Amino acid sequence: MLNRIAEWYDGWEQEQLDVLADPSIAATLPAGYRRYAGQKLAELSPIERQQLREFSITYRGRRLWIALAKLVLAFSAAGLLLSLVLPARYSLMHAVVLANLVGCAGGMALVSVWFNYRKFVSQKLRVLLSFIGFAVVGVLAGAAMSYVSGDKPLDVVLEKLPRALALAGIGVGLLVATPLIIIGALRNRHSEAIALQHQLDAERERMARELSESQLRLLRAQIEPHFLFNTLGAVQQLAEQGAPQAASLTASLIAFLRASMTEMRSDQTSLGAEFKLVEAYLQVMQPRLGERLRYSVSLPEALVSVSVPSMILLTLVENAVKHGIEPALRGGDIHVSARQDGGNIVICVRDTGAGMSAVPGTGVGLENVRRRLQLANGGKASLTLDDIGDGVAAEIVIPFQPVAKQA
Amino acid sequence: MKTKILIAEDEPLMRERLLAMLAAAWPEADVVLAAENGNDAWDGFLEHEPQVVFLDIRMPGLSGLEVAERIGKAAHIVFVTAYDQYAVDAFDAGVVDYVLKPVQADRLERTIARLRNKLGAAPLDLGDILRQLKSAIPAPKREKMKWIKATVGKQIRLIDVDDVLFFQSDTKYTRVVLAGSEALVRIPLKDLMSGLDPEQFWQIHRCTMVNVNAIAAAERVDAERLQVLLRGCDEKLPVSRTFAHLFRD
Repeated sequence: MLNRIAEWYDGWEQEQLDVLADPSIAATLPAGYRRYAGQKLAELSPIERQQLREFSITYRGRRLWIALAKLVLAFSAAGLLLSLVLPARYSLMHAVVLANLVGCAGGMALVSVWFNYRKFVSQKLRVLLSFIGFAVVGVLAGAAMSYVSGDKPLDVVLEKLPRALALAGIGVGLLVATPLIIIGALRNRHSEAIALQHQLDAERERMARELSESQLRLLRAQIEPHFLFNTLGAVQQLAEQGAPQAASLTASLIAFLRASMTEMRSDQTSLGAEFKLVEAYLQVMQPRLGERLRYSVSLPEALVSVSVPSMILLTLVENAVKHGIEPALRGGDIHVSARQDGGNIVICVRDTGAGMSAVPGTGVGLENVRRRLQLANGGKASLTLDDIGDGVAAEIVIPFQPVAKQA
Repeated sequence: MKTKILIAEDEPLMRERLLAMLAAAWPEADVVLAAENGNDAWDGFLEHEPQVVFLDIRMPGLSGLEVAERIGKAAHIVFVTAYDQYAVDAFDAGVVDYVLKPVQADRLERTIARLRNKLGAAPLDLGDILRQLKSAIPAPKREKMKWIKATVGKQIRLIDVDDVLFFQSDTKYTRVVLAGSEALVRIPLKDLMSGLDPEQFWQIHRCTMVNVNAIAAAERVDAERLQVLLRGCDEKLPVSRTFAHLFRD
């Protein structure tokens, strides 16, 4: 018999721990008190569930009963002390029972506020009033009992009642409910801190993931079959013609690949390095596209060491070539420039190619640039794309940060 | 008679490479045009009527797939592509000829050997494969032209495309004919064409694109030739042999 009760208890306990770990299984529990209890647990916030689960694992099975026994022992000792201090008011038995009752009530209140602090904080007044209400009902019940049992005559009971009520209201309200509410508020603050921490962790993880995604994208762009095969085909053709440009095109390809490898390893780079990368890219594309691509690149000496998120300028220039120059029948010009404008740096990529309407709608590359800017500079950086009549102007505005973190 | 070949490739070095290799591998063929975009390729096709066309898939203007669609069964088509795995799979499945860029001599020689065997027979119908590929390979979006800017004297006239009865090329210019008036624009017809809705404007001749809504009737001139009669205009537009199929039942 005892074994079966223990088994049932262990089973239920395990089930509740499972619900705390994964609230979605609450709905699959057998209907009745077990599902009801499970659903109550599932309604808690994730942090509350996590805390409750940790507590339940610490005080699992026999350990809970040992802890309770220790508490009862402590309360009884307090009762003994009370009867020794005030022997006139409390007999030993009286004091021990009272201490255990008060202690258990307080303990339960503490446990409930410990794990259910959200309610205590959001409904302070209701909690306070319900505590006072219970105390008043208790006092009235006590008074009724002492009248019925014939301990005291009615007039004595009635005479003492207002004072007892006031004491109970104020005492319980102030001495019990207020500390509980304060504990609840502290717990709540703690839980908010945990939630904030979770959020920060998630944000940091997302940033790391986005960075590696954009690095992967660059890697893919370099070894994009079209880029590599067409460039190598151009080199092969120049070499077969015995043209001296074969060597210079190979040199540009090497410079581009090396620069992008370096950039890929860092999150931030200097504007000078970014311009070098872009120039190497344009030097590779120029012999391939011939007269259809004309370009100029200008970076003021003062801005060479400005720190910028790596690879974003390259993405814009690649876009200008892919969506501006390549689809345009007559090709066009690309002008890449940077200037200081008050406390901002303005980086501009203009092309006189096919124009906005030729840009396919997905814009994954641009979205990526926007996010990188957001991550590096918060709301202070921006990327805008403008139709300038005979082409497109892409403009990045970032706050001026004169010292580069990495050369 | 020499086999006439047209090639279309937008990168100059790759174009030179294909030309040089074709000259070496197929000396008795005659490359009639090396086009640098899809519009020139299509216009050149209409002008020269080659038997074999080498088409890059990604090109400015009409894409290689769009040019192939217009050519239909009028020539043997060989696609030239750097890497479009999807296209290559479809070509393999549909026995379509293709060469990979950068073009290598042995592969080109094999393709030419196949082409020589096929020259006597009718070219493959690529319709299904092309439709399938066009939905899979994103072509750059081209906005359909709504307005045409035409200079008349000192004025710049804005002409609604829907009002145009037909376009006709006139050396470097294009005649834009409306009901009761006309204007000249400086853009060649072959370049205007890629901005027009092919459902609304039918090409009926190398030099003529006609608004379908303006066609009143097509009539026979003799056993071979057709001409189009218009609403709101007395001009009669000749239909070239290549486009006569548009008016057959």
